[in-house]
Order: sequence, then C-alpha cells, then structure tokens
Amino acid sequence: MLGLTFPPINELIRWRDIFTSFNKVGLIAVLAALIGIAIFLIAGRKDPLKAPTGVRNLAETGVEFIEDQIVMQTMGKDGLPWTPFLLSLFIFIYLCNLPGIIPIFQMPATARMAIPLFLALVVWVVYNAVGLKHNGFKYITAMAWPTSVPIGMRPLVGVIELLSNIVLRPFSLAVRLFANMLAGHMLLITFAFLSNAMFTAHTKQFFLRPMGVLPLFMLVFLTAFEVLVGFLQAYIFTILTAVFINSARHIEH
Amino acid sequence: MFTVTVHTTGAGELVVRLPQQRVTAEAGTEDKGPSPIAPELKELAWGAGSFIVLFVLMRVVLFPRVKNGMQARYGKIRDDHESADAMRAAARGEVAAYEQELAGVRAEAAQRIQAVRDIIEAERAIAIGVANERISASRADANAVNEAAKAAAAPHIKEAVADVSGRAAELATGRKPDAAMVNSVVTSLIGAGQ
Repeated sequence: MLGLTFPPINELIRWRDIFTSFNKVGLIAVLAALIGIAIFLIAGRKDPLKAPTGVRNLAETGVEFIEDQIVMQTMGKDGLPWTPFLLSLFIFIYLCNLPGIIPIFQMPATARMAIPLFLALVVWVVYNAVGLKHNGFKYITAMAWPTSVPIGMRPLVGVIELLSNIVLRPFSLAVRLFANMLAGHMLLITFAFLSNAMFTAHTKQFFLRPMGVLPLFMLVFLTAFEVLVGFLQAYIFTILTAVFINSARHIEH
Repeated sequence: MFTVTVHTTGAGELVVRLPQQRVTAEAGTEDKGPSPIAPELKELAWGAGSFIVLFVLMRVVLFPRVKNGMQARYGKIRDDHESADAMRAAARGEVAAYEQELAGVRAEAAQRIQAVRDIIEAERAIAIGVANERISASRADANAVNEAAKAAAAPHIKEAVADVSGRAAELATGRKPDAAMVNSVVTSLIGAGQ
C-alpha cells in the first residue's frame, strides 16, 4: 500500500514572509523588475555602433520582437510609441513566469492573482484612457450603440460590447495568465509528489518503486513545457494588450 | 490537509483514491494559508511597485538609450551601404571611362598603324618602280653591250667558220673550195640562224 499525502493548494502557495509583508512572490516581482532593468542598463552602456553581442543582443532581440511581432502586427507603425509599455509588460510577465521552473524559487509569481490582476487593471485603464483620448465620449456611445451592426441587433451587441470592454477583457486577461501559470505549477508539484512517493514507497510490490521514473519523466517534460507556456502567456498578454489599445483607438472597426 | 491513496490490487492494478478532506480536531484552528484565487495586498503592492519602476525606467531611460543606439547603428549601416553603392557606381563609371579611353587609344593606334602601312606601301611601290626602272636601264645597257659584242665578234666567227668549213670541205673532197663561195655560204647560213 502506497500512501501519498498531497497538501492542499492553499498550502502549496503559502510562502513565509522574508520580512514584513515581503514574501517569495514579492521577491520574484522585484527580481523580475531588477533583472529587466539590469539587462537594459548593461545593454545601453555598450557601444551601439558595434555588432550587438551578449546582453545588448538580448535586449535588442526583445525590442525587435515587440516591435515586429506585436506592435507592427496589431497596431501598425502608429503603435511604435507603445513599445516601451508593451516591452515592460512582456519582460515583467516573462520574468515572473520563469521562476516556476527555477530551483529554489519553483514558483511563478503570476500563479498568484495579485500580479495578473494588477497588470490587467493597468491595461484596462490604459486602453480605456486611449479610447477616450482619441474618440472622446463617442468611445462609450460607439460601444453602447454600434452603428456598424443592423439596428435590431444594436441593443444586444451594445450590451455585449460594453460588458466585454468594461468587465470581461481585464477579467479574462488576468484569469488567463493566473490560471495557466497556477495550473502549470500544480502539474509540476503533482508529478514531483507522485514521483517522490513512488520512489520512497514502502511496498512489497517490487515494481512500484522503479515505476516512479514514469512521473519523473513527465515532470521533466512538463518542466520543459512550462518554459514554452511562460513565454506564450507573456506573449498572449502583451499582444492582447496591443490589440485592445488599437481597437480603442479605432472604434470604427 | 488531504490524502491521495495509491495501492495495488492482487492483480497488479494501480488504484488511486481521490483526495478526501481529513477533518481533524485542530483543523478549525489551523492556518490554511492564502486563498488560491484572492489577491493578497502585499503581493499586489510589490508587484505594482516593481512593474511601475520597470515601466518608468524603461520609458524614460532604458528603452530610448537602446533604441537610439539601434537607430544609430542602422543609420550607420544604411550610410555605409549608400557610400558603398556610390563607390561601386563611381568605380563602374571609372571602369567604363577607362574602357572608353582604351577603345579610343586602340582606334587611334589602328589608324596610325594603317597610316604607317599606307606610307610604307607607297614607299615600297615607289622603291619597286625605281628598282624596275634601274633594272630596265641596266638590261638595256647590257643588251646594247651584248649586241655590240656580237656585232664585233661576227666577222671573226664568219672567218673562223669559213676556215673550218673550207678545210672540212677540202678534207672531204680533196680539193680546196672557192673561198668566196665558202664565205657566201657561211654568211647565208649564219644569217639564216639568227
């Protein structure tokens, strides 16, 4: 008989404060910001006229990725002034996701609701402010009474649009990031626990202990998969932000 | 705290029992940890502060510095490309000018060679004419000398032939032929042979 004691989720995401009101999630958030700042500080100090290498190459790759794959694809050339904001979002989210697979940390900061919620609220404020700045009060009226749909559908579509822009978009942004990262974290923990329990099982079934290698393989695979998930979630959050800002600027679409 | 129970049956099957909440006497007083969904204020504050610092620095200092550097390098690369294109165009122009000049020089050289050939040909024709005239004159002189020599030698030859003929006739007939007749015959025969 193999007993596997699986702690509750609350237990898995509880981190003792390193000092007052500063726990591992806070530490990861601070480190994410510091690493992002350090990368760009070091990159900015290198001679820009020489071919970029090392940290400068990394920073320039990040800038070009945001400009070419996000801004130009969703907002066009007019959206290039948004690059610093989108770049900050991408770097911060990615560096908060990555510790989920780094030993000692083993916890993505975005697997807690606080950071995704804050970022989603920032994005919500930003795209609504952009919509109001570019279109004035028409931004609200165009949402509530969309003239591009048949008149009979306008009340229904208007309610959907208002709900989508005011409630659902920030909610879905926050929950998508949070839920994906928490789910990944739970998967890693589950297979780690299962693997450990099978390796250390006190059982007469001699084949059970070596079978612990199966969840271990799964753990290794999921760890690699989490690298991709972390990048993908940061990319999705950032590209959706760009799409929301662009749609707020051009309400006629 | 809950427990997942995994055990094997006699047939070797692996059976997993789903977690069941284990309610203990002290569960009511136990710290259950943070809610997995509700955001915690301290995490929100640290996350917000970190992101705002990153964004502000990125917007004001970090991004402009890197971006300006990139643009400066792209500008330099573009300028280098343009100057390389200009140099290539200039080099092509110089090659074309050189080839044109070379063609001009070759044409001039050909003209000069042709002119020299014409001159040489003319001089050769003149020299050949002069040589022919000289040869003609020499031939005429030689002919004249020859004729004079022949004219000078003719009486002696006739006389010698007449002597030989007369002697031969004398030896053949036993009589000495008439000298005038022999001379007349020899003269007519020599005249007929000429």
